[in-house]
Amino acid sequence: MVRIRVLLSCAALATALATTLGLRAQVAERNGFRVLEGVGLTAVDQGVLGDDTHTPASFETHRRSAIRAVMHTDGIGSTGAAYDRGHLIVRFRDEADSAARMRAVSWATRSGSIAARPSSANFDIVTIDVNEDAEAVARALATRGEVQYAQPDYRVHTLMVPNDPLYQTMQWNLPLLNLEKAWDIQPQAGSNITVAVLDTGIAYTNATINANLPAFIDDSGVKYPALGPVTIPYSAATQLITSGRIVAAHDFIWDGTQPLDFDGHGTHVSGTIGQLTNDGIGPAGVAFNVKLMPVKVIDSVWDDIFGSPNVGTDSVVARGIRYAADNGAKVINMSIGRTGPPDTAPAVEDAIRYAVGKGVFVAIAAGNEFEDGNPKEVLADIASRVQGAVAVAAVDRNATVGDKKCSGTSSSPSCHAYYSSTGSWVELSAPGGSERQFGRDGYIWQQTFDFRFVETYLLPPAEYHAPRFDVLGYIGYIGTSMATPHVSGVAAMLIQQGITDPAAVEAALERFAVDLGSPGRDDQYGYGLVDARATLRGLGIAR
Amino acid sequence: MKTPAAVALTLLLATPAAAQGLSFRPYGMFAQQSFDAQKTFDAVFDSSSGSFFGGGLNITDDDRFYFDIGASHFKKTGQRAFVNSGQTFKTGIPLTATIIPLEFTGGYRFNKGKRMRPYAGGGVGSYRYEETSGFATDGEDVDTRHAGAIFEGGAEFRISQWVGASADVHYTYVPGILGNAGISKDEGETSLGGFQFRVRVLVGK
Repeated sequence: MVRIRVLLSCAALATALATTLGLRAQVAERNGFRVLEGVGLTAVDQGVLGDDTHTPASFETHRRSAIRAVMHTDGIGSTGAAYDRGHLIVRFRDEADSAARMRAVSWATRSGSIAARPSSANFDIVTIDVNEDAEAVARALATRGEVQYAQPDYRVHTLMVPNDPLYQTMQWNLPLLNLEKAWDIQPQAGSNITVAVLDTGIAYTNATINANLPAFIDDSGVKYPALGPVTIPYSAATQLITSGRIVAAHDFIWDGTQPLDFDGHGTHVSGTIGQLTNDGIGPAGVAFNVKLMPVKVIDSVWDDIFGSPNVGTDSVVARGIRYAADNGAKVINMSIGRTGPPDTAPAVEDAIRYAVGKGVFVAIAAGNEFEDGNPKEVLADIASRVQGAVAVAAVDRNATVGDKKCSGTSSSPSCHAYYSSTGSWVELSAPGGSERQFGRDGYIWQQTFDFRFVETYLLPPAEYHAPRFDVLGYIGYIGTSMATPHVSGVAAMLIQQGITDPAAVEAALERFAVDLGSPGRDDQYGYGLVDARATLRGLGIAR
Repeated sequence: MKTPAAVALTLLLATPAAAQGLSFRPYGMFAQQSFDAQKTFDAVFDSSSGSFFGGGLNITDDDRFYFDIGASHFKKTGQRAFVNSGQTFKTGIPLTATIIPLEFTGGYRFNKGKRMRPYAGGGVGSYRYEETSGFATDGEDVDTRHAGAIFEGGAEFRISQWVGASADVHYTYVPGILGNAGISKDEGETSLGGFQFRVRVLVGK
């Protein structure tokens, strides 16, 4: 502990000095929020941390959601799905000129106007009065001949419920995919492939952040004081970032190119895809040589407190997908999702079809709401309609190597993770973990922030203080968010193996999956548990 | 050393046999086979046909009935793959297939005494199939043998007193090896056999 305190003190001192001396790197400023990229120290690595705050049912998980909900007074649709008030996503037909488009908008709502088209979008944003029912206006607009589709801008969120030493001792999930033999087949592990991680960002660089922290009221009505101007240290994940690994980073929450993760989810997910491996430190990743493209499309509590201009909605996600496809990604990982009325994300579906059409494979989390009424997962449901995109369910540690049938009998117990949504959209399964029966041994471990230094908004107001993002550790998460990057990693390896067509990648993953549960595809496990080795190896003539 | 020994054996078998009414004629053979498992072989080798080389012993009785024992060999290297919606995707992992048929056929030769002798017959064979691939673990490579049925028809031409040549179509049906796993199962192809166009050179009267 003394060593850690000394390191933390040194880090704080260096950060303050750097700021005082006016060091400048890449700077973005908005609402008093400024990132000095490259100015900062290497992270403090705390090792394995017994953090239980990122499970589906944890108190902290609910608090995080509740605080975010309070900070953004979202509209609530007919099915309970939240949407960003005050605007709609509208795709006008090409033949409709601007006057016709405006006539259509005026017909549907008195308050409507068409905003300037955002980057990486093939749709427009129509702003309406925040008190108007966005679903009703969207329905009205959709009846117009000038309109191809119109939808509320639904909120999207992460689906975390929430010789490497930890690989040997804690990563039950990777051997379950038959990965050791897959790495024999492809030791490059995806080195030519870029995986875009559409998430909360990635801890990809050392930086110093200047921010002005305002007061806020949490979900219980408790007021947290303003902290005023603060300097926040930020460090790259030491087990994730190497020179040249990050490509075409983009932030659609802050409209910039510095997609720093203030949540930890995106960093954890990226670790499963490509944590540095065979370096004798920490855990391993699936496709440990891939290039990573952080595309920030989900806001965290800290983004909200810092005053980010955007939140994670369908329009932001759709733009992120198009951006990734246009900037060289071969795989898009979406450990994110939302519920809501079926087929209400045409903008996202359009973007996914665009990406697949450009040769990009897309993996989407199947949802964590099995015990919450098991509603349809709208984004995952899109994947089931698109050949080249897959929806990924989660299995727990009952899915043991060599006996993966998970038939639900005493000799072959179910391995369906208790939270993993089930339905017609489920196509594949991968390890998402579960604390039930297994405690921390059932987690999916990767490097991310030490939340004791990050989630200070969960403390009582008197103890609330500025966060620091330069202390990392190996943290266990649970969720279909964690299952999905396993599939993205295997897909990256398969693409490097030469199977580049997204539809073929999906077909191969499904063809070689180990069938779980009922024979054939089922709503719990889809086609079954991904088998990396069998998928990479393909078939012979007789075997 | 092997070639002179084979020639000596050929002459030994051929000469006395003719004197006894039975004719024993060794032969060498080249065959081009179009495999029944067309999609399977095409996926792995980019071709659904392959060449066999071999030889055997042809025995005729009264110059009308014949019995034939022959062995041949096919070996080719391709890539493991999988097929999706009719399109093949290679994995880059080498696969070598070897087929060694041991065949016993018999039949009737028409036009006794003529220079061209059409013939037709059938028989059985034992087919050894080996499949080896990169990154295979125990039990994943294949080495098996199954029986098959043969139907054949063609004609033999007398080139000289001691040398004949035949050309025929030789169909084999070999169930039991393909169709249980691998691409052949996905494609529903169950026979390792197919149509062969064979050319043989026979030595003896």
